[in-house]
Amino acid sequence: MSNKRKAQDFLLQFGTYFAAFFSFATLSLIIFFIFTNGVKLLNLDLITHDYQAKTHIAEPLAPNDTDYFEPEETLKAEVYYSPRWGLGLIDSIDLMGKTQVEIAYVHPSSPFQQLHDKGLSHELLSLKPDMMIIRIAYSDQPSSLARYGAEQMIDELALSNQIRELEFTIPGGGIRGSIITTFYLIVFSLLFALPIGIGAAIYLNEYAKNNRFTRLLRSFIELLTGVPSIIYGLMGLAFFVPFIINVSSATSGSILSGSMTMAVILLPVVIRTTEESLKVVPDEYRQGSLALGASKTQTTFRIVLPGAFPGVLSATLLAIGRIIGESAALVFAIGTAIKDDIRVTEQSTSLAVHIWAMMTDEPANIELSSTIAIIILLIVLLLNLLIKLLTRRFLRKVSAPR
Amino acid sequence: MTAQNPIVFQIENLNLFYGEKQALKEISIAIYEKEVTALIGPSGCGKSTFLRVLNRMNDLIDSCHITGNVTYHDQDIYQPKTDVNGLRKSVGMVFQKPNPFPMSIQDNLIYGPKCQGIRDRFLLKQIVEQSLKQAALWDEVKDRLKESALALSGGQQQRLCIARTIAMKPEVILMDEPTSALDPVATAKIEDLISSLKQDYTIIIVTHNMQQAARISDKTAFFLMGELIEYGDANQLFSTPENKKTEEYITGRFG
Repeated sequence: MSNKRKAQDFLLQFGTYFAAFFSFATLSLIIFFIFTNGVKLLNLDLITHDYQAKTHIAEPLAPNDTDYFEPEETLKAEVYYSPRWGLGLIDSIDLMGKTQVEIAYVHPSSPFQQLHDKGLSHELLSLKPDMMIIRIAYSDQPSSLARYGAEQMIDELALSNQIRELEFTIPGGGIRGSIITTFYLIVFSLLFALPIGIGAAIYLNEYAKNNRFTRLLRSFIELLTGVPSIIYGLMGLAFFVPFIINVSSATSGSILSGSMTMAVILLPVVIRTTEESLKVVPDEYRQGSLALGASKTQTTFRIVLPGAFPGVLSATLLAIGRIIGESAALVFAIGTAIKDDIRVTEQSTSLAVHIWAMMTDEPANIELSSTIAIIILLIVLLLNLLIKLLTRRFLRKVSAPR
Repeated sequence: MTAQNPIVFQIENLNLFYGEKQALKEISIAIYEKEVTALIGPSGCGKSTFLRVLNRMNDLIDSCHITGNVTYHDQDIYQPKTDVNGLRKSVGMVFQKPNPFPMSIQDNLIYGPKCQGIRDRFLLKQIVEQSLKQAALWDEVKDRLKESALALSGGQQQRLCIARTIAMKPEVILMDEPTSALDPVATAKIEDLISSLKQDYTIIIVTHNMQQAARISDKTAFFLMGELIEYGDANQLFSTPENKKTEEYITGRFG
């Protein structure tokens, strides 16, 4: 008997240990996977740069035979330099992980400082460090292409006297626009979801009588938590997208329609969490307030709701996590066009949809996706800390010092 | 006692039900001004329920309904047009467990007046000082008015709750076993406070502690199984009870 019990105890205990270890290991694995894949592309430029590359085709003046440009600064060892053209190139990868030939140095008197744009604008352009050269076409020899590397491009450049055409690009691939969209989405979604959600929770917990109707309402809200988000996305497409198009200058899915869809997705979570936190506000507070002649409404909004503040904050945190992570619904409710110039009545992508766009590319860009995933994790972590800090400050204000 | 004080509450044939269950049976009683009336009786006898009839706190319980007359200064307080918030303002209540709000001491005191629309800073400050002084708490907390009320000891919290009630300038203070969660020293302080508050307020106190009832009350009412068994001057009730059940209870035969 006792042996059997021992065996049972051991088994159950082992089970719990294993479950804890397993969850921990899986989470670590995910983070490990994301980091090993994504850390290579993680840099500040990715966050601050535009997604759309600006490509120019231009024509430089030919150098004189006698030109020789001594670089004015010491160039790094891996830079290939052509003294005749005053141009230093380097092999690099762009923000999206493709190999490119990057401009490392342009001499102040180099012919590349004055380029005639062959496009529509006819402006004077100049090459600057960090730009990427895609192609150089010569009048007197075959073109140099970026995929053969910086060394070969410099060698070929040195042999030529006349450049017919130069294609270069201010590199894109940055996720600045998607970061801004994500923050817009967070702000607007919370703006729609929190007041409605908190209001509904207050009604359910403070005012509603416990009858059939409210029980039905509650189980309905619970049910909504389990509805797949893509269905909300369809609703957004059918409902909010046309609505926003009607009331604003929007012509397609927009951040606003996305936020409204998101708000609907968030409502059940916000209502449930807020209601739980309202429930734990001691009844003594309500009675104490009412016994002082305060009205029910005053009691609810001045005593009960502030008491539920930490719960409301954690509802907010859950909501933010949900907004940042949502992609399926937003693909419908906003769209998938990655933008740099963000307007709330226009399409753009959140970070999660940006990942979705990268993964549906041909071929799928797992590295950049992982990098964005790291950034998402960092943002969530940061917001988490912020809310913890707020909660602690609030609790310190109201509770006894420990 | 010489002349009888005026009547504040007149209760006639009060019956109270929680759903089907009758909690108070045919209670008729008069509460007199500026006296301490103690309600005693074993647990579940209906004394707290009776107390909550007087400021309509039983309204919070859906299944609760009453029959009979409850008049406060000749006004029936169970009329549909009764201003319940106004009633609770003049009939304040202190609970068994100290329940200061999770805010600063000062905010606890000005919460009630603010809900009544008082915004004048100077006036609010005055209310804070006066009510704390009346509740004999001023000297202990005057330097920490901005600190959390939850940092106070249990006895201080209870006196803060009394001060909070006083801040509303009530006429009656209902106390529902206000010392049952406190230690003897804190209890003694509250009892002293009750005796001094008697000059300005009508106090109705529910207590489990018969010595306490004997010490502080002018009138005592003995409840048993939802019925009012005996009501009269405290001295007389405790020395020569008329009813046998009262005698058995106060001599500790049961309860």
